[in-house]
Formats: sequence, structure tokens, C-alpha cells
Amino acid sequence: MCSSKNVNDERVSTHTIEFPYTRTLGPVYSAFLTGLRDAKVLGITSRDGKVLCPPTEWDPQTGESLDLDFIEVGPGGVVETWAWVTEPTRKHPLDHPFAFALVRLDGADTALLHAVDAGSIDAMRTGMRVTPRWKEERIGYITDLEAFVPEASA
Amino acid sequence: MAGDLAIIGYAQSPSWRAAELTEPQFLFPVITEAIERAGIGRREIGFTCAGSCDYLSGQTFSFVMNLEAVGAWPPISESHVEMDGAWALYEAWVRLQHGDIDTALVFGSGKSSPGVPAEIFPLQMDPYTLTPLGVDPVSLAALQARAMLDAGKITEREMAEVVARSRKSAIGNPYAQVTGDADPDALLAEPYFTAPLRRHDLPPISDGASAVVLATAEKAKDVCEHPVWIRGIDHRVEVHQPGMRDLTTSVSTRIAGEKAGVGTAAVDVAELSATFSHQEKILREALGLGDDVDVNPSGGALAANPVMAVGLSRIVEAARQIAEHGKQRAVAHATSGQCLQQNLVAVLEGA
Amino acid sequence: MSDPNQDVVDPDAPVVGMDYFMSLHFEERICPVVRRYADALLEGKLIGHRCPKCALVYAPPRGYCPIDVIETTDADEVQLADRGFVTNYTVVTPVAYYGQEATEPFAKVSVQLDEPGGSLSLQDVLEIGVDDVRVGMRVEAVWVPAAERNVDEIGNRSWGSAEGCILGWRPTGEPDVPAEQISDKVF
Repeated sequence: MCSSKNVNDERVSTHTIEFPYTRTLGPVYSAFLTGLRDAKVLGITSRDGKVLCPPTEWDPQTGESLDLDFIEVGPGGVVETWAWVTEPTRKHPLDHPFAFALVRLDGADTALLHAVDAGSIDAMRTGMRVTPRWKEERIGYITDLEAFVPEASA
Repeated sequence: MAGDLAIIGYAQSPSWRAAELTEPQFLFPVITEAIERAGIGRREIGFTCAGSCDYLSGQTFSFVMNLEAVGAWPPISESHVEMDGAWALYEAWVRLQHGDIDTALVFGSGKSSPGVPAEIFPLQMDPYTLTPLGVDPVSLAALQARAMLDAGKITEREMAEVVARSRKSAIGNPYAQVTGDADPDALLAEPYFTAPLRRHDLPPISDGASAVVLATAEKAKDVCEHPVWIRGIDHRVEVHQPGMRDLTTSVSTRIAGEKAGVGTAAVDVAELSATFSHQEKILREALGLGDDVDVNPSGGALAANPVMAVGLSRIVEAARQIAEHGKQRAVAHATSGQCLQQNLVAVLEGA
Repeated sequence: MSDPNQDVVDPDAPVVGMDYFMSLHFEERICPVVRRYADALLEGKLIGHRCPKCALVYAPPRGYCPIDVIETTDADEVQLADRGFVTNYTVVTPVAYYGQEATEPFAKVSVQLDEPGGSLSLQDVLEIGVDDVRVGMRVEAVWVPAAERNVDEIGNRSWGSAEGCILGWRPTGEPDVPAEQISDKVF
């Protein structure tokens, strides 16, 4: 058997993959992110008259492309379901415990996934009303909306 | 049309928390075993299809290197899907319909251990509205579980019972990773990880591989004493945005199951890719499986979750139930995306 | 005269692009055959596995021969020559993309090692200008002094790297290997 110069039994190689992406948005996401920059949440009207938020570029039922028929929704909405994140990852929008939630904004027929900065799991309840907390400096990004907060405490 | 296709060979690797071997190295014996079990020569194989995802272990061309485990010289006819091996099987199934070749090799493999799945999977999500929030598979599954609880469709105790049953079933499975006797009360006493999910409601992080050899009816009858027949196979996908679906039901699984013919006769056993404990109930309901169906005798995805192979492994385990344990009719299910966004269902029979 | 306001972003113009910086970190256990290869490098040796069936030599060893699809083990280990000849090369002209550190054109060569064989790719050449690199050129390894060697960059998929132990390959001055002898050695 060949001799080995292993210092420890465990040898591990590490590497990092990084890349800066710049994505063009097209008319639908451009309108949506521009809205967020302006502290507004937009939905798009589907073929059967439903308001989709976040807006999609095509009708989820038929696949047809949608007219650029945007409508402002919210600002407040209802938590349809939620999950309490005890240990945020470095990719999460907040660095302290928070909830991810599906929030159906007033006027929308679908729910938007985002964070709810409720402070504690005890403050979370399906059906509660929440309202956006906007970042001071906004650039046209989903995180311009920093998080939702309970409407009662806003 | 060539008639029903059959599974004439299969194999799995164990599932490891962090494999010491490289992916081609642990794939190598799995492919060899599947081919040997099929009783055909390696060079006879008409088509090869693999399912894997380079981003899992973060190495470009991982899927190319995996072909070294197949023996790709002289050149072979092969394809690859950036999906679970179950979809590679579907592509091979389609390929064999042409009738010009009579066997196909299918495999799925992955090493989830080198990366951080919670950081990798957000990159699969909508890049404008979801990726930048870093929303990970566990958080998404937790949203689905909460919706189930709120709708009265499941209880936390039922979730814990699925976990306990799966771990116990896995005790006899040499390929499983998380096994043992667990008491639902003890499980329920554990703290939440991402509420309402506790750590045990989550799948383990696993490295592993599985492989299947498919054959046409004529070839199967020629070389295989007990072929496992694929009577039906179908897959469907739903809208991506979680807020645009009812997370408490799986419409795509229901439709795929109908198209695959699940309900046309009694089902003995089902191997379902319920990666999170609450998902088993969603899938049972979607497939119309009653309490008399033995679900996940292998332990399922809660006992071993080698991403990119786990769905194909359900097909393998379902085939094993027929070929090795005398069962007659089995259902196998694979899933892709988050919260059961995309689902594949196969119906297997022994005769 | 350039317009001093040209670079100011119009706050009312629609947002048309979205930046996203992706970053993923990986840590992988090094497999036994590569650990063995790395240990040998630290000792100033190159090792590979020779397939017992077709006699092809793989450096670093993979634990199998992909042509015959059979396992290879320590029993198939061979010590390799640290001299050979260039079978292929490319001269890279650096483009300034994220992560690119090079600024001047550089060459990467594939080296076919003398008996018992094996080849290493993406190797650096030393003591020769990029314009003079050529197929058939005989080279020898320039090893990092023993005390300074490290195998920090050797992982499971290092593509035949010897980084940290071999600085590069320099021409030996011997006559080139004739082209007719190289046609079946592309990499």
C-alpha cells in the first residue's frame, strides 16, 4: 500500500461561483419594478378580468400574452399563508427572524410572495392585514418593498 | 407503436450525507449493476438519457463527466435533462416509441452535499420577484404546510406520523439514509425549524444515484424473466408563482395520474416523492390512493433525498416491489420545482 | 464639450434593467484517488492509474477507465514522467469580464508525458514567449521548491491540475517531436 502524507483524514476543496447578471425586463416587469420604485404595487388584468399580482407576461390559464393593462393594488392586503423563518439565510431579505408570506393585496386576485417583518411568530396569523414598509432609496427592485408589516402596528 | 415498454434492470447507490466519492465514481457501479441485472451487453444499449443538475455541486460539465461512468466510447446516442432522472426515463420512453431501437439506459445522480441547497434553489425561481428574496425550498414548503393546516386538511400530528412511519419503513432499506424508530409525540416536542415545519419534516441532504434499463416488449420477453411493465406514464406542470396556485391540492399530479391510468385498477403500493411530510397527503388525495395502499415502503424521500435521482429511485423502488416482493400493481411519482409544481406519475405492473 | 448631465439617471424614466449578483459557495470532500494524487505532488511526484485492459494512463487517477468501464485501484497506480511534449495549446487574450485577473495574453498547453504516459492539460509554460509555443515542443516540469508546495487548489475536478506544486513547463531544448507522431494525441 502506498504511504500517504495525509495530515488529517478529512480533505475538502472549496470554491465559489459568482457572477453579476444584468437582466432586461420587458414591458411587464419594467412596469412592475418601475411601480415599486415609485412605491406602488401594480397588477395586470388577465383575459377573464382577474387582477394578477405579481403581474405575468401571459395568461396563466390560456398562455396568451396579456395587454399591458396595469392597475394599482394595495397598499394593504391579507396574509393568505405564512412561514416563520427562525434562522434567515444570507440570501433572505431580513437578517432577523421574519415570516415569508403570500399576501393578497386589496384589489388583486392572486397573492404576492414577500416578507412580513412581524417581530415575533406570535404576531403572525393567517388572515391578518399587512401593509408595505418601503425603503427610503428605491431603484426598481422587489426589495424596494423592504417588507410588509402588520397593519395594526404601521 | 411498439406496445408497452418494460423495466428490465435497475440499481441504486446508497444515499450519503456527504459522499467521499465523486459523482462518476458512485454512479459507475450503479450503471454497471443495472445493465448486468438487465442481462444485456453494454454496447447493445440503443439510447442513454441522464438526469442531473451541474449547479447542485457547482461544477461545470458535471453531466459530461458522468458519461464516463456509462462507457461512451465508441460514441453512443445520448441525451440529458436538467431534471430528475424520472424525466430522463420519460424521454427514453418517448425515444423507444419510435421502434428502431429496443433498449435504453436511464440514470439520475446528484451531490447535494457540497453546496447550500437553501442558496442554490432560489436561483431556479422567477428571477424578478422571487430569486432576489432568496426564498428557499423549506420556506416554500412551510407556506404550503401552513395552508394545509389552515384548511383543516392535515394536522401536525399526522405530519409527525408520516415521518415516524417513513423512518421505520426505511430500516430494512440498504439505500436509505435516515432510518429508525421515532415516536410521533417526541417528534412533536421538537422546536420548529421554519414553522410549521420541524427539522424532521424536511428531507435529508443526500448524495446518490439510481439507474434503470428500459426495453421494448419484444426485447423484454426475450431477455427478462420478470419484466416490470410501464402501463402508463405522464407528467404535468403548473403555474410557477406560488400565489397563483392552490398549494393544498396537486392538480398536475391528479391529471398525470389520470393520464397514466392510476385509477383503472387497484393499486398495491405507491412510491411517492413527498419531500416534505405534509406533501404525502396531498399526493395520496391527488392520486386517489386509499388507506389500503402501502405508501413508501422504502422510506421515501424523507429517508433519502438524492436530488436528481430521488424521483427515478421511486420508480426503482416501485419496480422492486413488483420484481422482488410479489406486488402486482404500483404507482411511482416524481416531482420537480417547489411545492409540487411539476409532477410525473408512472403506473407499473408485474404482468 | 461633453454634457455634464449625460450620466445622470432620469428619475422618471422607466426601469428597464435589473442587476443580480449570484454567489454560491461549495465545499466538497476530496475523493481518495485525488488525495493520493495530491500527496504524491507534495512529494514531487506525478502519479496516475494505468488501465489494466487498454493501458491508457489517467492523470490524475479517476478510479476507473472510462473506455473499458472498469474500476482501477492502487494496484494500477504508476509513477509518471515529469517531462514530455506539447500536444496542443491555446493562447488566451484576456477579456475584462468579472473575475478575470489576467491582462496579458497567456498560453495554456497540453503535455503528453513520456513513458508510461498520461497527459496533463491547461498547463502553464515558462521561459518562452506565447508566440513561440508550438506543438511538438519538448518540455520538463519546473517544480515548486519542496518547502513551498501546497495542494490547496487540487480538488476532485481539477482537470489534471498540478497547481501549487508544478509552476509550469519549460522547453528542454531537445528537437521537437515530429507532427506524424502526434496525430492521435489531441488533448
